[in-house]
Amino acid sequence: MAQATQQERKLVLTEAGVAEEGTKSDEVVIAISVGFNDMKDETLAGVRHANVIREMMAGIEEEGVTARIVRFYDNLDLGVIGLRGAKLSGSGIGIGIQTRGTTLIHQEDLVPLSNLELFPQAPLIDLETFRAIGKNAALYAKGETPEPVPVANDPMARPTYQALAALWHIKEMGYKDKDKEPMEMEVSFE
Amino acid sequence: MSDDDKHIADGGGEVEETSPKRSKRFEALDKREVTKDGFVNEWPEVGFVAMESPNDPDPSVTVEDGEITHMDGKDRDEFDFIDRFIADYAINVDKAEEAMEIDSVQFARDLVDINVPREEIVELSTAMTPAKLVDVVNHLDTAEIIMAMKKMRTRQTPGNQCHVTSVEDNVAQIAADAAEAALRGFYEAENTVGVARMAPLTALAQQIGAQCGRGGVITQCAVEEATELELGMRGMTGYAETVSVYGTEDVFKDGDDTPWSKAFLASGYASRGLKMRYTSGAGSELNMGQAEGKSMFYLETRCVLVTKGCGVQGLQNGGISCIAIPTSVPAGVKEVAAENLVTMMADLEVASGNDQTFTHSDKRRTARMMPQFLAGTDFIFSGYSAVPNYDNMFAGSTFDSYDFDEYNVMQRDLQVEGGTKPVDEETVLEYRERAVKALQVVFEELGFPPITDEEVEAAIYADGSKDMPERSTADDIQAAEEMMDEGITGADVVAILAKNGFKGIAENMLGILKSRVAGDYIQTSSIFQGDGEFDVLSAVNDPNEYQGPGTGHRLTGEDWEEKKKIRFAVDPEDI
Repeated sequence: MAQATQQERKLVLTEAGVAEEGTKSDEVVIAISVGFNDMKDETLAGVRHANVIREMMAGIEEEGVTARIVRFYDNLDLGVIGLRGAKLSGSGIGIGIQTRGTTLIHQEDLVPLSNLELFPQAPLIDLETFRAIGKNAALYAKGETPEPVPVANDPMARPTYQALAALWHIKEMGYKDKDKEPMEMEVSFE
Repeated sequence: MSDDDKHIADGGGEVEETSPKRSKRFEALDKREVTKDGFVNEWPEVGFVAMESPNDPDPSVTVEDGEITHMDGKDRDEFDFIDRFIADYAINVDKAEEAMEIDSVQFARDLVDINVPREEIVELSTAMTPAKLVDVVNHLDTAEIIMAMKKMRTRQTPGNQCHVTSVEDNVAQIAADAAEAALRGFYEAENTVGVARMAPLTALAQQIGAQCGRGGVITQCAVEEATELELGMRGMTGYAETVSVYGTEDVFKDGDDTPWSKAFLASGYASRGLKMRYTSGAGSELNMGQAEGKSMFYLETRCVLVTKGCGVQGLQNGGISCIAIPTSVPAGVKEVAAENLVTMMADLEVASGNDQTFTHSDKRRTARMMPQFLAGTDFIFSGYSAVPNYDNMFAGSTFDSYDFDEYNVMQRDLQVEGGTKPVDEETVLEYRERAVKALQVVFEELGFPPITDEEVEAAIYADGSKDMPERSTADDIQAAEEMMDEGITGADVVAILAKNGFKGIAENMLGILKSRVAGDYIQTSSIFQGDGEFDVLSAVNDPNEYQGPGTGHRLTGEDWEEKKKIRFAVDPEDI
């Protein structure tokens, strides 16, 4: 029963002011899209956002690096929010993630479409991979060059999920606020 | 059924969950592969509709003093930047009013009328607005689209493009697979990567592999646009395709782009004598949630005309990476064929999709490619996965290496040129060996992480990356960075190959580099014939002259004899 409760625990994200540019070189920013944990609380593949965030943060923290979460309201493009997250990060490294689960690791001096690591097939990213993504982001933040997290490839992900992903995205567009600045998010689990 | 017939639980145990009794037929149908596909009902308000959205504009045009001042229901001051670009650069203004006055049904009939030659159609179709082109093609059914494509594609000889990728970005495997793909008859090979920073090395591996066969197979590496251009300029690739254009302003802006910035990028390729085409395809605007309620077909037609306006010679479309969006709604497969046709009507080369998975069903994926296959296009697949789909880093193609024999048989069955040919195992192994040994030498000379003899052996006989030994991606990335920092070019690679006894590959690779100076292969729909002579076939010297039976491209003579020789046919003389 205790285990069931643990799995069902809820992620609570609370706005804590406009996100500022970080000064600590040992931090990684996790940039989340506007509907993350709000429009839906799980990825397309049914991985709960609470567990996604917990695993990524654990991956970052086990390397002795701090995680910050910033929500972007004015743009849903993963390359853009990932890069802007990286620019807000004191280390210059950011992770970007959309509601549907598509994830990347970005670095402040790159262009939106050229990232450090990209996991384009959202339905294939499991919790172990989310943790590994957090760990690698932390290693980049420390100036190391880790082996990239193995990219999963399932040719049947698109047939199953792409149209659904587009529907989710269109719905998430309804949450966009083009005038709102990125906000620092406080994380708690209930 | 009366109440008496109901099963009443006795209350002694848990309440029985009674689900309605299922038809065994439906239970069996529920297990079919097609039920795993994503299907969506139309939602026209946001543009979730393949063709004929109620929000698509009606065709109209006004020309004043040689300038389009009104188009498709909007005055010039209401144009978004795509309208403006199309009105100013894509439409033949001199003929616009004449073309727009033609009855759309009549023009649709002309498209399928073998007595109306292609040139006559193109003269008018290149003077039509997006809404007019859509209005015309909406009158065609799928069989008529096939007929129209047969006449309208620019180059007479159909061709094919393939993907050569590895989920591990394994360079030895990529070189060997590129060599095999060249032998199998593809005119173009396309690579992309799992890890972006690997691109310089995988591009190099593919280039060496592709040149070890018949000479003149051109290669590209689909990555971020600036990197892609640089790899081309360095001579690591021979053409480019992944320069994307979109049908709404918002999607363009999200990519920090405009039609003008895309035109600027295109000129970067043209100035270096590099072949390039754009990429678009139904569903991309919807994928970004920015389709403005317009049909996928209307938005894609705008993409075709942006391409035309940029002066680019060709376009890859037919759904492409968003293919599972159009195919989720009614008439989606028809729509992707229709967008190929509009590209041809704009007098552009078309690489016609069939390049990304959209279904679990073998029947659906085969039906989807029939229009392009039967009509013939410049590149029927863009591309066909020359590796197993588990290694296909475009997330899988509609046909892959496991379909090689079936695809050859289909060409033999229907006497259709599909752009691949039967090959024998011995020759394939020979090609693969030469490719990977050449790559081994190049890596050694450049001081890159060695390709071991064990890797060479594995790559020769491999089916996919699962058959390859482990290799450090981190070390390869370092080498890739070195390669870019040190300014290593295609010419350096040619010199290394020549010095180390790989004269044939060196000559072919040099041939590609020299062709960029000659520039013939940047004409519309160009391919090298692949005989090592670097003779170009294009819309200029091989124009499509199809006008019904007895004309156009026919699969006859030597090419047909070659198609007949599938591996497992029994020779009557042997019995």
